[in-house]
Amino acid sequence: MKLQSITLTNFRQFKGTQFFGLTSDAIKPVTLLFGANGAGKTTLLNAFTWALYGNMSDDVEQQDRMVTDSVWRSLAVGNSVDVAVEVCFDHEGQDYRLVRRATLRKESDNQGPIAAQLQLWTTRADGSSEVSHAPQETILSILPVGVSRFFFFNGERIENLVKKGAYAEVQKDIKVLLDLEQVERAIAHLPRVNRRLTDELKKHGGETASAIQDAIDTLTDQQTKAKDELKLIEGDLATLDEERDRTTDLLRQHAEAAPIQAERDAVTNELTEARAARDTALTERATLVATRGFQAFTDALGLQTKAMADSLYQKGALPAPLKREFVDKLLDDGACICGTPLTEHSESWDHVKEWRQRAGLQAVETAWQRVSGQIAPLADARVGLRDALANLLNRIGAERDRVARLEARKSELDGKLKDSRQEGVQALETKRMDLEGRIALKNQRKGAIETELVNLTKEIDQKTKERSRAQVTDELASKARSRSDLVQSVKRALEEILAIREEDMRLRLDAELKSVFKSITHQAHVPTLSEGFELTLHKNVNGVELPVPKSTGENQILSLSFVAAVSKLAREIRKERRAEGAAAEDAGTFPIVMDAAFGSLDQDYQEAVSRALAKMAPQLVVLVSKSQGLGKVVTELLPYVSHLGVIETHTTAAGSVSDDIELEGMSYPYIRSADSDHSELKVIK
Amino acid sequence: MSQSRTEKQVLEEMSDEQRALLKRVLEIERAKLHITAYDATDDLIAAVKEIIP
Repeated sequence: MKLQSITLTNFRQFKGTQFFGLTSDAIKPVTLLFGANGAGKTTLLNAFTWALYGNMSDDVEQQDRMVTDSVWRSLAVGNSVDVAVEVCFDHEGQDYRLVRRATLRKESDNQGPIAAQLQLWTTRADGSSEVSHAPQETILSILPVGVSRFFFFNGERIENLVKKGAYAEVQKDIKVLLDLEQVERAIAHLPRVNRRLTDELKKHGGETASAIQDAIDTLTDQQTKAKDELKLIEGDLATLDEERDRTTDLLRQHAEAAPIQAERDAVTNELTEARAARDTALTERATLVATRGFQAFTDALGLQTKAMADSLYQKGALPAPLKREFVDKLLDDGACICGTPLTEHSESWDHVKEWRQRAGLQAVETAWQRVSGQIAPLADARVGLRDALANLLNRIGAERDRVARLEARKSELDGKLKDSRQEGVQALETKRMDLEGRIALKNQRKGAIETELVNLTKEIDQKTKERSRAQVTDELASKARSRSDLVQSVKRALEEILAIREEDMRLRLDAELKSVFKSITHQAHVPTLSEGFELTLHKNVNGVELPVPKSTGENQILSLSFVAAVSKLAREIRKERRAEGAAAEDAGTFPIVMDAAFGSLDQDYQEAVSRALAKMAPQLVVLVSKSQGLGKVVTELLPYVSHLGVIETHTTAAGSVSDDIELEGMSYPYIRSADSDHSELKVIK
Repeated sequence: MSQSRTEKQVLEEMSDEQRALLKRVLEIERAKLHITAYDATDDLIAAVKEIIP
């Protein structure tokens, strides 16, 4: 299939009828179309898929507004308008003109659902033309809708092709594209054909042949049942594997979070302990101040007391030379120790009484002696208090630091843990174990069925040999036997061909993928296509192959390489000697139409991708914006460009919105002010 | 299945009748690839009967 032209009529932004030629050759296979954001690049890409299959991709919004807004607005209620896309292409020696058209009658401001009709005309080499009565079927037989994802795509979303989970679908599409699907289907259909043929053998073949055939039928039934079960189990296994991978992934996330969680727990405990230690130290200090705080003020007091005592000793006042109790006794007895009577108010009495005032009290002296003994320890206690306070202050400071440090660490860990779910690890682990168990059981059953199938095949072969030796006199029965033998042998050959093709395709696709990927990326990553057609990316680190997490850019390049490899292989394999016989000159040739080819790639990747793109498909339509397409992209692609165009944006937006695009030294309108919002396809060359 | 064998070898080992049927079968299946509910039995029997009338 090679595109010749596209014509849009009132299709979304494209007002009126607009044509763009796309015919290209092997030397200049590229059509390059520039368009501003919103100009209609995605619309143009979708115009192709709408024309071919009647659908548009999900990223096209407001799909019920198919007619250009300004056209619909100016249409009088009750009048009708056409919306259509015409695509002309050639395929395997025939020219095709395809038109999908809908006529919409205006009932209100809202556009109703449209019922588009598809028409297809075939023109032969002699110029005679013919209307196709099954236009959609014909289109689908040229390019099945599933396969079209490899050829009509948005570069920014192309990585969906290689996302996990997309393999089953992609694998099926590849099989169609690489001529594997029809082999698989034939293998599935031929047993039914054989059964119908052998029914005749049973009917006319006589007792022996009929009995053998009955046995073969029973065995074949068992074989079919086993194969069905095998397919079911393989499907189940794929689902279980995927679920186990998901669960393991969740567990891994948990496992990653687990050490952080453990550290957080430890930090939390330590923090509680540090806070308690700090509070204890504070309480101890308070108690110390309350009970011994006064000692801080005893510094001068002790010394002064000691000095006073020392001075009293020196003066002989301490201890007192005469006790008051002794003087009181003399006064009470009324006689002095010298014998002089002490009559009250006599001179002697007054003299002794005067001594009473000067005498010291026994109790005071005792107390004094006790106090003077405490003065030295008091000074020591004061020094002790100072040391104890200094110690406590150190402790409080240290604990406060520890609390602050732990609080900071805990909040850091809390932040790390915020995004990971901590619940259900146990449940997940149980689920994983359960899945492992179920997978093991299924694998066991799979192995048993595979052995059973091998045995059944042997038995069927054996019986078939017996059948060919059996005496068959009836001509119809004999013919039925020959036909059955023929069908069986073709089925066996197909099975072998399928295995050969599958392995061959995979190896070649893998090799091609590696080569294209290497030519684009500057990373030393190696893509691999596994036996299950699963795409993986590896890098070699000192001889060890490690999987590479695919970034969006890498995924886009991987997908592009994959598309390039598939496209190239689809062409190649049909040129080789194959069971289907000789193919048409352009068999397996399909155009690639890509929107936003360079997505979010870096400049150097853009250059490499442009270079690869030019060689990637027999025909290539690239839709880009100025920012994506100018510079290196244009430089790389221009030598291969046969058609260059601009999707000119016309806008009612106020202000100086006009913009131009410089191409090959000339300036062309890119955005222009206008009475209505619409886009126009302009040919530059 | 032997990996060293090629499709060409498989084809060469077949008789003309087998090769003819193989080709027809693939043609029929290929033409109906887009119809998942397609029952090929009648078409395939017709093809077999063309080869062994």
